[in-house]
Amino acid sequence: MNVSTAHLLYLVFAIGGAGLYFLLPRIRHSRTAVGVVLGLAAAAAWILVLALRVVAPGGAAYFYLFSTIAVIAAVRVITHVKPVYSALYFVLVVLATAALLILLRAEFLAAALVIIYAGAVLITYLFVIMFAQQAGSPVYDRSAREPFLAVVVGFVLTAAVAGRAGDLPAPKRPTIVAAASPAPINSLPAGRLLENTEAVGGILMTRYVVALEIAGLLLLIAMIGAIALSRKRFPSEWPVPAPFSPLGQVGREAEPF
Amino acid sequence: MPGVTEYVILGTILFGLGLIGFVSRRNLIVMFLSTEVMFQGVVINAVAFARLHNHVEGQVFGLLLLVIAAVEAGLALGMVVLLYRRRGTLDAEAWSLMQG
Amino acid sequence: MHDTLTVSALVILLGPLAGAVVAAVARVGGRSHWPAILGVAAAFVASCVVLIHVNQADGEAAAKIVLYSWISDGAGSTFDIAFLIDPLSSLMLVTVTGIALLVIIYSRDYMREGGIIVRGYERFFAFLSLFVFSMCILILGGNFLLLYVGWEAVGLCSYLLIGFYYGKPSAAAAAKKAFVVNRVGDFGFGLAILLIYLSFGTLDYDIVFDLVQRGVLASGEALTQDRTTTIALLLLCGACGKSAQLPLHVWLPDAMEGPSPVSALIHAATMVTAGVFMIARCGAVFAASPTAMAIVAVIGAATALFAATIALVQTDMKRVLAYSTISQLGYMFLGMGVSAADSALFHLFTHAFFKALLFLAAGSVMHALAGVIDVRHFGGLRTVLPWTFRTFLIGALALSGFPLLSGFFSKDEIIHHALEANTVLGVMALVTALLTAFYTFRIVFLAFFGRKRLPEGVHPHESGGWMLTSLFVLSAGAVAAGYLGVDVTGKPFHRFLGPVFATTFAAHHADHITVLAGEHSLTSTGFVANYGLMVVSAALALLGIAGAYLLYVHQPWLAGLIRASSPRLYRALWNKYFVDDLYDAVLVRPARQFGRFCVGLDDYLIDGLLWVATAVPRGVAFLLRGLQNGAMQGYGLTMLAGVAVIVVLVLGA
Repeated sequence: MNVSTAHLLYLVFAIGGAGLYFLLPRIRHSRTAVGVVLGLAAAAAWILVLALRVVAPGGAAYFYLFSTIAVIAAVRVITHVKPVYSALYFVLVVLATAALLILLRAEFLAAALVIIYAGAVLITYLFVIMFAQQAGSPVYDRSAREPFLAVVVGFVLTAAVAGRAGDLPAPKRPTIVAAASPAPINSLPAGRLLENTEAVGGILMTRYVVALEIAGLLLLIAMIGAIALSRKRFPSEWPVPAPFSPLGQVGREAEPF
Repeated sequence: MPGVTEYVILGTILFGLGLIGFVSRRNLIVMFLSTEVMFQGVVINAVAFARLHNHVEGQVFGLLLLVIAAVEAGLALGMVVLLYRRRGTLDAEAWSLMQG
Repeated sequence: MHDTLTVSALVILLGPLAGAVVAAVARVGGRSHWPAILGVAAAFVASCVVLIHVNQADGEAAAKIVLYSWISDGAGSTFDIAFLIDPLSSLMLVTVTGIALLVIIYSRDYMREGGIIVRGYERFFAFLSLFVFSMCILILGGNFLLLYVGWEAVGLCSYLLIGFYYGKPSAAAAAKKAFVVNRVGDFGFGLAILLIYLSFGTLDYDIVFDLVQRGVLASGEALTQDRTTTIALLLLCGACGKSAQLPLHVWLPDAMEGPSPVSALIHAATMVTAGVFMIARCGAVFAASPTAMAIVAVIGAATALFAATIALVQTDMKRVLAYSTISQLGYMFLGMGVSAADSALFHLFTHAFFKALLFLAAGSVMHALAGVIDVRHFGGLRTVLPWTFRTFLIGALALSGFPLLSGFFSKDEIIHHALEANTVLGVMALVTALLTAFYTFRIVFLAFFGRKRLPEGVHPHESGGWMLTSLFVLSAGAVAAGYLGVDVTGKPFHRFLGPVFATTFAAHHADHITVLAGEHSLTSTGFVANYGLMVVSAALALLGIAGAYLLYVHQPWLAGLIRASSPRLYRALWNKYFVDDLYDAVLVRPARQFGRFCVGLDDYLIDGLLWVATAVPRGVAFLLRGLQNGAMQGYGLTMLAGVAVIVVLVLGA
């Protein structure tokens, strides 16, 4: 990626970041319109950048589509006032990511993503939201902490990493996977390209079987931990703090001098 | 055909967005939701690099990341519930006891 | 020989000092007078030993004892702890330690009320002993540096003792006043010492006086008259401060706020005489400057008359005695000024006895009457306090110059020399003698004669044995001390002091007479003049006593008539010629204003600057406060910012 494209990228990110700043929820002077405009401008610029870079417009359309959906949905996740909507937009992010993974020829992972996230994790999130969310629109949903600093820091990080992404070479052509593994698997037919699931399964059971077992153990521990956390008992001598009034503490400044 | 670069950039963008959401939203649940968005970005990155090397190890890594994400979501939500019980609110600022 | 003197000198100094330390530290409460008594008694005995020694030496050069070198700079000039023992110093030592011993013995009973010690009993004796120590340093010192050390130290002790009842505002103010006025004088004194050092390169008495008498500076060039006069006048400045002469006399009447023993010891017999002692010691310097001598005499005479007139109308017994002290010190200065140094010191000696006696007797009255000392509130104490009355009477007679008592002889000499030098001064001295007799007996008659009147609720009784003992001894001294200076006994006092002044005052006697005399002098010193003068003095004394008797016992309405006839004069005298008010308006008030200004400056300017200086940390803190506010997300953001920085640095994008 030559220098000018990198700078264009930074510019895109900057515009996008500014838009994000306006989109993050706040109580006073809510200028979502400005944010939307800036976001759209950033999206347009992003597409322009991509168009400049990509030569053949073949499978790129799907990439553009799903990447845009993913980004916009992610933005809505973090900027929407109501948590329920955030969760739903997150589902959209997951679906877009799954689509992108399919484009990257990781079908198994895409399916696993959809099943686990949209099927399990999100349900859990929604349950907790229903359980704990207060009625109406409480203030802590309506205002973001230090939006400016957050956007600046996020932008710097993203730009730093993304700016270096251009040094990556082009992907290699697909090769025979079966011949690549050092310990050939007996049950697999040799001499043909493996399906993704087969490849993942094969390598998971041979090379990374220890990691698999540990992952299972991790899940067990997490289950036990979740059960332990959800017990209602806690010692009565812990002091129960006074009811919290959000507007009373937050943003309060001490008297200067 | 978009190369690995664009995917990596996209993954980074998602990661950055999740980051911004994590540090700026005050609702505990939306905070953790933002971490999930970060995970999405990381998964995309991992798989993109797998595509670069034309090897499935990156996908395996993504799978294990998925496991971790699920674990984290479960425990985090358990703790969120506990915290909610203690203060009656989902505000992250409720746990800031200092006067400013 | 020198060893005896050295040991004695050390005992004289260290005895009272040890007494002071023991009294302060040993916490023996009601027995604190013992360390003081023992220490000062040891000093007294040692002083007598020294006196005998010097008397036997009789005319040999004064002994100088160098203990050790205190300060020495590399260039060879050193300041030693050196003592000079000659007739003058040994005489003063005996006087000081003797009177101090009597006063301490007296204080043992005085500082008790109903048998119980007053608060600060130990403090009192510690300070008294410390004072004796300081005075002895002053007297014994062999160079100007030690003189100055002792000078300041007695000023300090005076402050501590005047302000003994520190809870009383008037006492604290009086102590401050005494110290500050003394300081004014000490400033001149300090300048004199500097000038002496600059001129003569050393502060040792013997070297300095030798150079002065030879008329050369240390560098070898001639000593100008101007310089001598300047040094002498600056020294006089210090002497006026310490001995309460015009214009620095204002502290002595206020110093009566201290306990009566303090007044007796410090402000009658010893500290205030330090000025006279200093002039005597620096006789060489003064004698070499006739101008300075004239000024000394004039100041002395003027002060004597001034103070005597004020004493005529005061009603506070101790104040009258204070003004009387100022007046008698004026006599001593007058004597010094007309080159009659031995007469002046003779008067110092006798004055020490009868003035201390008067103060202690007044203290006895005060003790019996629970602190009342204003004669408007009591009367007719003759029958109530018989021994106090008798001793006070003896002291009063001596002060007035009643014939055959000590005061008569000493005062007469000074008047004689004054008349010899200048008629005006002599007449002033005579008038003062008349007034002295009058006001002294005015107080005697008002306090002890007439109808018996007592203040409310007071049941006086005669003083205890300790107090009376001192009074008796002092009475004996007041009567007999005069006979040391009479022709009949061969004037042992004057002969003893002779060698000290032989080269200084006595030698220049004639010069000074001519300076002061001009066309007005009685230069005859014949038999008739001598004894005639004695008769005149006696007559004046008796006249004064008779006048007081008339006005205050026989025909009391006359006093009221006189007062009514000249109200302006009375007011002027009552207000001490408004000198205090003058000082207050010109010096004290502006100083206070300046103080207030400085306080305001401190509060606003300095504190304001500090506020500005501290505004920087405060501002920085205000800005940085948000970094640590307990909000977890804030911390997370901060960490992320750090990560961002690192990433940018590492990736170099």
